[in-house]
Parts: sequence; C-alpha cells; structure tokens
Amino acid sequence: MLLICGTIPIANFPLTMGAVAFAGDELFINEQKIPCTQGTAALVSAACVVADYCQIAPPHVLLAGDIGNGQGSRAIYDYLKKNIGRLSPNILLMHYILPVMGLMKKVVAAAEKCAEKPVLIADASSMYAAKAAGLAPRFDIFTPDLSEMAFLADPDAVHPAYISRHLFNSEILQVPELIAAACQNKNAPRLLIIKGAVDHIVEDGRVIATIREPDIPALEAIGGTGDTISGMISALIDAGVTASEAAITATKANRLAGQIISAKPATKIREIIAALPMALKNILKKEKKND
Amino acid sequence: MFFSKKEKSSVADGGLIIFANVEDAIRAEKILRAGSFETRLVAPPPALRRGCDLALEINLTEKPVIEKTLLEKKSHFLEVLPLRGSGELFNVVKVKDFGDAVMVKAANMKLTFDKKTGVILNISGGGCPDIPYLHISMVDKKLSEVISPKEQGYTLCALMLDVAYREALHLWQSEVA
Repeated sequence: MLLICGTIPIANFPLTMGAVAFAGDELFINEQKIPCTQGTAALVSAACVVADYCQIAPPHVLLAGDIGNGQGSRAIYDYLKKNIGRLSPNILLMHYILPVMGLMKKVVAAAEKCAEKPVLIADASSMYAAKAAGLAPRFDIFTPDLSEMAFLADPDAVHPAYISRHLFNSEILQVPELIAAACQNKNAPRLLIIKGAVDHIVEDGRVIATIREPDIPALEAIGGTGDTISGMISALIDAGVTASEAAITATKANRLAGQIISAKPATKIREIIAALPMALKNILKKEKKND
Repeated sequence: MFFSKKEKSSVADGGLIIFANVEDAIRAEKILRAGSFETRLVAPPPALRRGCDLALEINLTEKPVIEKTLLEKKSHFLEVLPLRGSGELFNVVKVKDFGDAVMVKAANMKLTFDKKTGVILNISGGGCPDIPYLHISMVDKKLSEVISPKEQGYTLCALMLDVAYREALHLWQSEVA
C-alpha cells in the first residue's frame, strides 16, 4: 500500500484515512470532496493519475485540514505514531505537514519498526523536518528544488528561510557542489530528485540522470509542479518501477504535460494534471519504440 | 521495581526566544501555552544569552505566529533566534522576467504576477501548511488588494512569501507610477 500523508487548506476538514479517487479535477474520500489545488491535493491527484494509468489500486491517504496553525499536522503525526505498525505501508510519503522535529523522529522510529520498513519519501515541509532532525539518511527519497537543495547543503539551517545567501545564489552549475555538501553533512537520502531548469536524479551522491527536455520555463512559476513529480514517483514505485526509473519517468512526464498544454505562468496545476495521462502514454510509446 | 521513562517533550525545534529578564520569560510561556503552542523554559546557550538566564524553546517554523501572539499580548521579548547558524533571516530576492509576467523569488518561495494588471498569477515553492491556503486566498487577485502573507500566515514559508510579495508589489507600483 502507498500511504500519502499531508494537510489540505480547509480549516475544519477532519483527520481522514482511506483510499482516494480522482475524477474531473477533484479528489473524493469518504464522501468528501477536495479541490485539486497546489500542495498535497495536487500530489495525491498526480499519484491517482499514475495509479489509474498503471492499473493498480489507488493510493491511501491520511489527510487533515490545516491552514498553518499546526492542529491538523499534529493529528497526522499522532495518528502515524500510533498506527503505522498496523498499517504497514510499502511506501510512506510525507508532504505538507508542519515541521516538528521531535514528532517526525517518533514517526520515523515507528515506521522503522514495521515488519518491513516502508520506502520513506519526504517532500515540502516534511523534508524540512527530516533534514533539520538529522533523519535524512533514514529516508529513501527527497524531492527538493534548487533553493531546497541549498537548504540541504547548509549544515546549520533548520528551515529554508535561514539558508546562507551564497547557497541561495547557487545556479544549476553549482548543483554538484550542493550535492557533495548535502551528502558530506549527512543531509541527503539515498535518492535525490532535484527539480529545476535541469532535473537531476542523484543516487548515493552520484548524478545518474539529467532531464532537460522539453524545456518549459513557465513550470517553475506554477504552484504544484513539484508536488505532481513527488506524487507520480510514489505511485510508479507502487506499480513496481525502480525508484530511479520512477524519478526519470515522473520528471519527463511533468515537462511533457507542460508542453502539451503550452504552459504559461498563469497555468493552474489542475491543467497540468489533466495532461499527465497523455504525457505518460507518449513516454511509454517512445520507450517501447527504443526497446 | 521499574519506572516508566517519561516521554521527552517534542518542543526542541530549533528556535529560542531571548528575554531581558525572568519575569518576561515566564509571562511569555504562560501566553504561548494558553495559545496551545508547545514551548519550554530553558537556559539559553552562553552565546545567545542577553542578561537573562531563561529563554523559551519554540518550534522555529512558527516564529511569525509566535511573535504576532506575543506582540498582541504586549509581552516583551528581545528576539527569536535559531539554535544553530547565523540567525539571519533571509531577505534577498531574485527576479525572473517571463515577458508578460514577472516571478519574484525569496528563499524557497516564488510569486508570479501579470505585468499589466498586477494580478497574482501563481505562487509556487514552499512547504508549510499555510502555503496552500495562501495560494487559494491570493492567486487571481491583484497585488494591491490582497491581505499580505505576513498578516494571514503562521510560518517561516509565509514570511518568505511575504518578502517576495512586498518586492512584487514594489515592482508593480514602480511600473504603474
């Protein structure tokens, strides 16, 4: 089972656990509707698209409403700490959850006690909490953008708001230095997917692939384009694809979806998600041709 | 006989509020606890001490909302600092021109607006739970007509979005003028 955990921006949305369905541009869980907007909703929607494409079961989600005060986030940490052993997911993806290092440590410790340790993936604030708590090597996958990569490379920063200025000024050319610093300081998991003008797939500190095409600069401006990559990776792994192959396919599909709809800075994430099935189909067709 | 080990607090989350005297520290702790913030009175490390032997440990990510809460209650504190690093909050921006639109980036946050209308087209980056909420409340509205992320948000991501927002507003107003 793939379990995706995160908050949604509806203050009174209760802690909800279960299988999720995606239709139109909305998510459906336990008779509740969630609009597909930037954040965990976009991530879950992209995971659902991949699950449907690969004809596997849809992901399970653990969601709670939180507009920033941390109440929903704390409910998620608490539920995971108590129930992760019973749920025993194959893949645990943690996303928009208020970073609380002490609680993240407890969740990771509980996950490691599962009969089989889940593939641990962190993006967004869960990645901040994991890095700040010194847990990065115990995770399998992080999906930072370039500024978040600078945060991972900074040994002292506990949040990207405190990254060193010289690291923030890093450009694509400095990515190898950022990777080396993050690995040296034990702030990187086994697999890093660095999202940017050039996507870097990094395994055990070594760049194994770079994805440059198609080049769609507007994707950087569109809220949720990082979330869709993380969601696709998790669902592809759930479908049996290796983590590194999943990363390559997901980053390519995101770019291709942007190209299909001629993405502009004003494009909304639901439009990208709507184009993902066609993007995945095109990638698979191309791969079959190359075989 | 075995005693169960008391579960350690999960507060130690990278931030410290520094006070001028013990009374201020104790009052701030009461205010924050009443507001359901997890906090703990501690002795500040010598390097961060400013005359008072008590400091409050907090979740640094919640720095903006904690400061707002203390200021509203007229609770005096000197500063909120990270336990590690330089303590300097990020305040520089990068600007990217898309032709009809401009993207302003501060740390992990990006805000893009339409050059002609000043309408916020997108907000990307970040990871704290108030960002999707701010995204919904700000996107497709004019820069000059939204409530600032600093006023609406709770976290450091919201504060970084505020840095980008203020620069975007400045750029647009300069263009209009």
